[in-house]
Amino acid sequence: MKKITYIITALILGVTIFSSCDGVRREPGNIYMPDMAYSRAYESYDKRDSTKFTADIYNKGGDKIFYNNTPVLGTMKRGELFPYSLPNDSVGYKMSAEVKNPYDTIAMSKAQMDEAGRLFNINCAICHGAKGTANGPIATAGHVGGVANLTGGIYLTMKDGTMFHSITYGRNLMGSYASQLTRAQRWMIIKYLRTLQPKAEAAKVTADTTVKK
Amino acid sequence: MRFVASLILIGFISNNSVFAQGEALFKANCANCHKPDADFTGPALKGVREKEPSKEWAYKWVKNSPVVRETDPYGKALFAKWNKTPMTAFSNLKDEEIKSILDYADAYQPPAAAKGGNNEPAQDNSFLFGILTLILAIVAFILLQVNSNLRKLSDDKDGIFRGEPVPFYRNKTYLMAGVLLLAAVGMYLTMSGWNGKGGGMNLGRQQNYQPEQPIFYSHKVHAGTNQISCLYCHGGAQDSKQASIPSVNVCMNCHMAVKEYKGEAITREDGTAVNGTAEIQKLYAYAGWNPATKSYNPDNNKDGIPDGASPIQWIKIHNLPDHVYFNHSQHIKVGKQQCQTCHGNIQEMAEVKQFADLSMGWCVNCHRESKVDFYNRADSTGNKFYSIYEKFHTDIKNHKMDSVTVENIGGTECQKCHY
Repeated sequence: MKKITYIITALILGVTIFSSCDGVRREPGNIYMPDMAYSRAYESYDKRDSTKFTADIYNKGGDKIFYNNTPVLGTMKRGELFPYSLPNDSVGYKMSAEVKNPYDTIAMSKAQMDEAGRLFNINCAICHGAKGTANGPIATAGHVGGVANLTGGIYLTMKDGTMFHSITYGRNLMGSYASQLTRAQRWMIIKYLRTLQPKAEAAKVTADTTVKK
Repeated sequence: MRFVASLILIGFISNNSVFAQGEALFKANCANCHKPDADFTGPALKGVREKEPSKEWAYKWVKNSPVVRETDPYGKALFAKWNKTPMTAFSNLKDEEIKSILDYADAYQPPAAAKGGNNEPAQDNSFLFGILTLILAIVAFILLQVNSNLRKLSDDKDGIFRGEPVPFYRNKTYLMAGVLLLAAVGMYLTMSGWNGKGGGMNLGRQQNYQPEQPIFYSHKVHAGTNQISCLYCHGGAQDSKQASIPSVNVCMNCHMAVKEYKGEAITREDGTAVNGTAEIQKLYAYAGWNPATKSYNPDNNKDGIPDGASPIQWIKIHNLPDHVYFNHSQHIKVGKQQCQTCHGNIQEMAEVKQFADLSMGWCVNCHRESKVDFYNRADSTGNKFYSIYEKFHTDIKNHKMDSVTVENIGGTECQKCHY
């Protein structure tokens, strides 16, 4: 009889110990061979070593290595368009109307137009709506107010350059999309947006000179 | 009597339809900048008519506010009060339509607060099954004992002699079975661990890893409720090896306007409530943004970022060992995989946890099963890169195979990922 008591006690203990082992896993756990798992070279989003890095790259730079800093001024990515030089102020905004869309002269292929539509749906449609009519999920839920209906009003006559300026630097409540879209992608998206706007009405409003910002 | 009742009914119906018309017009024209009961980009519309100079003043204003705000004294004051935010002129709206909109706003009642989500955890029955198994095992053991006792009794009756029964803890068969069972359980626990943790197989694997992040950023709120595309923030996934952690600039695209959290209650894994608005304030501190002045702090110490701003040190959850090469853009752009295939239902996770174990068996299994977008010569659809795979084209033509998997084009060769 005594032995059975022992066995039952052991069983209960065992079950308790095992069932108390679950929960949220906050630690990554152990590594079998650390020298094979961790890179010796610096990887993306590695912690910056304060003995090797400094935020003041221009004065204390020397031969130290830098990550997560902005590229040297004037750096151009391969295959990227020339930098946009107009400043982020009212003068720049006014002058931007004169900037021509490079895709005015080079026609976009169907694949490029599809790609522009895909990027529009990812980055713009969240507020402006898939059809550009200001009914994206965030706008209809009322989180962000004053979302522009891009298929009417001043946007029918607004120049491509002005739109590019607004996407690059942000305008009113809209933030800058320069970090998410390359210059070429921004121009392509504007061309795609033009296909969403009603054609006949655009011509009518252009004739109406009273429309102003 | 009947006449009066029908009159009331007609009155009710027409009143209702005016309300519905006002609601529809409000949603179509005004809701972008106005809310019925709260200030938004423009003022709340409930009861505005009482503040205005006359009942008809609103018609004038809505139809042609750019002119009224320059000429009319009340219009001037209103325009100045709202920081000169212009209101679009709605010359297409008729007087009675504007009246129905304002009637709707006056009669508007906020909907009852949404109830907390139905977050009952899924019932895990494995513990119950364990107890059931244990009970059944004990019953079987007792029955075996009863059986042997009965046999002894009947043998005694028949005059066949049997020695005293050996108690089960000294019975060699039982002892051997117990030792084998213990050895099997021990080996299993050593290799696989308990509950996916520990054990030799799980060394270096991080399935279910769920670290606490510096800001309680809920993917459920952003990608689920608000339907923001994964690629809006993690745009690197389509262009580069890394999915990339979004810069604070991307957060501020929306959070310049979204200052407080009003949605469904968010809870941590341990059940405590999360104050969404306080988490947004944390973001402002990291970004160096002043919500009161609606601008970034000045950069007086000339380090290129607003004063007080600092990088958010997010904790990386999905880690592959250095000896494995993995490229996001290859899987997203060419392979056309969904993020959820490897990361699980991110749009339902308040706190992200690692969904897959990211083991080599898991990778290889998917490479064996996934079909590539093979080029079809007949109608020139599919990925044109595969037009050069002559043998597969012949095999498909001769009906020896019907589709091409990643493994077929070399997706399980060692050097593809280890070099």
